[in-house]
Amino acid sequence: MEENKKEMTDLELIQSYDGPPVRIMEVCGTHTHEIFKLGVRQILPEQVTLISGPGCPVCVTPVDFIDKAMYLALEKGVTVCTFGDLIRVPGTKGSLADARAKGGKVQMVYSPMDACDYAAEHPEEEVVFLSVGFETTTPASCLAAKKAMDQGLKNFSLLVANKTMPAAYQALKDSVDVYLYPGHVNAIMGTDVCEKLAEEGVSGVVTGFSAKQLLRAFATILREFPKGKPFFANCYQSVVKKNGSPGARRIMEEWMEDCDTQWRGLGVIPHSGLRLKEKYQAFDAEIKYQVPKMEGRINPACRCGEVLQGKCLPTDCKVFGTACNPQHPIGACMVSGEGACSAYYQYSLTK
Amino acid sequence: MCVGLPAKVLTMKDGMAVVDAYGAKREISAELVDDLEPGDYVMVHAGIAIAKITDEDEDE
Amino acid sequence: MEKTVTLAHGAGGKQTNELIDQVFKAHFANPELTSDDAAVLPVEAGKIAFTTDGFIVSPQEFPGGNIGKLSICGTVNDLSCMGAKPKYLSCAFVIEEGYSMEKLEKIAAAMEETAAKAGVKIVAGDTKVAGRGQVDGVFITTTGIGVIQEGAQTSGFLAKPGDAIIVSGDVGRHGCTILLAREDFGIEAEVTSDCAPLWECVEAMFDVTKDIHVIRDATRGGVGTVLYEIAEQSQVGIRLMQDQIPVQDAVKGVCGMLGLEPLYLACEGRLVIFAPKEKAEGIVEALRKLEPSKDAAIIGEVTEEMPGRVVVTTPIGAQTLLPPPGGELLPRIC
Repeated sequence: MEENKKEMTDLELIQSYDGPPVRIMEVCGTHTHEIFKLGVRQILPEQVTLISGPGCPVCVTPVDFIDKAMYLALEKGVTVCTFGDLIRVPGTKGSLADARAKGGKVQMVYSPMDACDYAAEHPEEEVVFLSVGFETTTPASCLAAKKAMDQGLKNFSLLVANKTMPAAYQALKDSVDVYLYPGHVNAIMGTDVCEKLAEEGVSGVVTGFSAKQLLRAFATILREFPKGKPFFANCYQSVVKKNGSPGARRIMEEWMEDCDTQWRGLGVIPHSGLRLKEKYQAFDAEIKYQVPKMEGRINPACRCGEVLQGKCLPTDCKVFGTACNPQHPIGACMVSGEGACSAYYQYSLTK
Repeated sequence: MCVGLPAKVLTMKDGMAVVDAYGAKREISAELVDDLEPGDYVMVHAGIAIAKITDEDEDE
Repeated sequence: MEKTVTLAHGAGGKQTNELIDQVFKAHFANPELTSDDAAVLPVEAGKIAFTTDGFIVSPQEFPGGNIGKLSICGTVNDLSCMGAKPKYLSCAFVIEEGYSMEKLEKIAAAMEETAAKAGVKIVAGDTKVAGRGQVDGVFITTTGIGVIQEGAQTSGFLAKPGDAIIVSGDVGRHGCTILLAREDFGIEAEVTSDCAPLWECVEAMFDVTKDIHVIRDATRGGVGTVLYEIAEQSQVGIRLMQDQIPVQDAVKGVCGMLGLEPLYLACEGRLVIFAPKEKAEGIVEALRKLEPSKDAAIIGEVTEEMPGRVVVTTPIGAQTLLPPPGGELLPRIC
């Protein structure tokens, strides 16, 4: 029997699954996106529940972060550099797209390094990069700040809302049986955290983003899960090494330190955030521009928080697809192409 | 959460690499990955190389 | 010093005439080009198609064309999509004070060349100059008249289940070219705009058959937007075969870097055609003989199921929705 299974393709193995029900959380927003784009949900057997997790930085960035960015653009006349992903995210009073329409300077960049270059080329402007993202993206922000420091730039700083995954894995582990780990976070952090979680009884597989890699990961999960023993497998060995990227971790450790942080929809998770170390405060936009404390307000009808925890489906939310849609998002999960609500809205055949 | 694109390293200079993905070229930071050489493949995210790609996955 | 357009060029006096004579008439001269208040044109039997379009693009010059070429192609292609042979155009310019005369000259030259290629005459024009900062360089509006060919009847409302869907070439090139030309993201790639007048392509298809239900040119919203428009207007479902959609490699690379979908990048020289399945091969064969449509391909079919939706068959054999079009294209990084 075991021999036969090896002969089967990953797709056949997945489709012939006859084991117990299993809840799999794809942590990473890019996985959510690719899974929908490929139509993976359709080929999964009905015992498999896929939960779209919190790994979309745009989705879990709290409302007051957007409010602060708007404040910088509109009240302080700062040029706000950002990834395109954040432009449409609603704050308490509108989005950065609205700030731009009101005359605020909002510049889209591909890389934090580009924001630093922009600051160097525009010495007359004050430039702030909106530093969001997980362990994959944080090193790029640190590199940009370092470059600014090396060049002696005084007009570049970061508004930081970077987050880290391990505490979130702990916080959400009761909602899932198996994690599909975010491959590019693992590329930086290695696989120690995942292996330790497996020892604690939380299974997981790390994988990449192509059809083959995703199918291999699901096939691995469905082969291992019925055996009843916690497991960890790395299906992305071409990119993810056990030790990750020491160079990337070094620069993060040099520049950032751990803090408690607010996740939109999930509340405060202790030790899940990063902030600039005190010695680098000159690059901290919140301190530099004395950004006041803000109380972000979320539309009360929005259920993004429950969606992110797998407690309800996007389609269970009253405003989903009606008042809340990608053109007029209410919740953060509708804003980003990676958000669970947006993916359901844009790709689902059954709405 | 992190869009990554595999790309081939064309040139290396002062910690920066010019990479090529299907003919789209861009300069990226290669500071965080050791021992990169032209001809290597890297995973690119937000303008930096986050990992060297080796050929250890079956049939990739 | 470089010669530039000044407010005096728009004041209606001597300098206005100079501008018109030296730049526009020099390029647009033809017996019908009017010096009076309106062009006087012969009336032909049958039906005419009549359309107008405004053009703003930054930068005004890009690999594969400029705003002048674009302004002719856009209107000529709109007429062509209705099965109308383009005959006459008017064009109106709003020029920013201080705009380089040399660039304006290049734009006019491109318009002359493109109009000749499309077999269309520019018969009326207007020039205004706006103060610095009031427009971005130059805006052009063209209006066109074409004669609908006998037996041709195309409309976005006429797609029928069983139709094959053809695209006349690889998608997303113009949008990608402009994105790169703006140099916002530091990416370089050898991509040129697909901008081209397409009447010859429509004519070649009509030589094969007049039984074509829909022809539409994919412009700023890309092929994806056109497909959704037609699915909605005709109340039909559309099924695409993802691996049949032609996309140039470099466009794929740029889209990969920025998390963009090529089907939603602008085209300026691509037709989307809906025709009965049995005619599709012949149409594609005819299209492939012409330069602007040498990569024409059948990319999908019309179905009765799921009206208003565009469904994609993915590489793993599953079905998924093409994400509906939505607003400004935002690169996705994290």
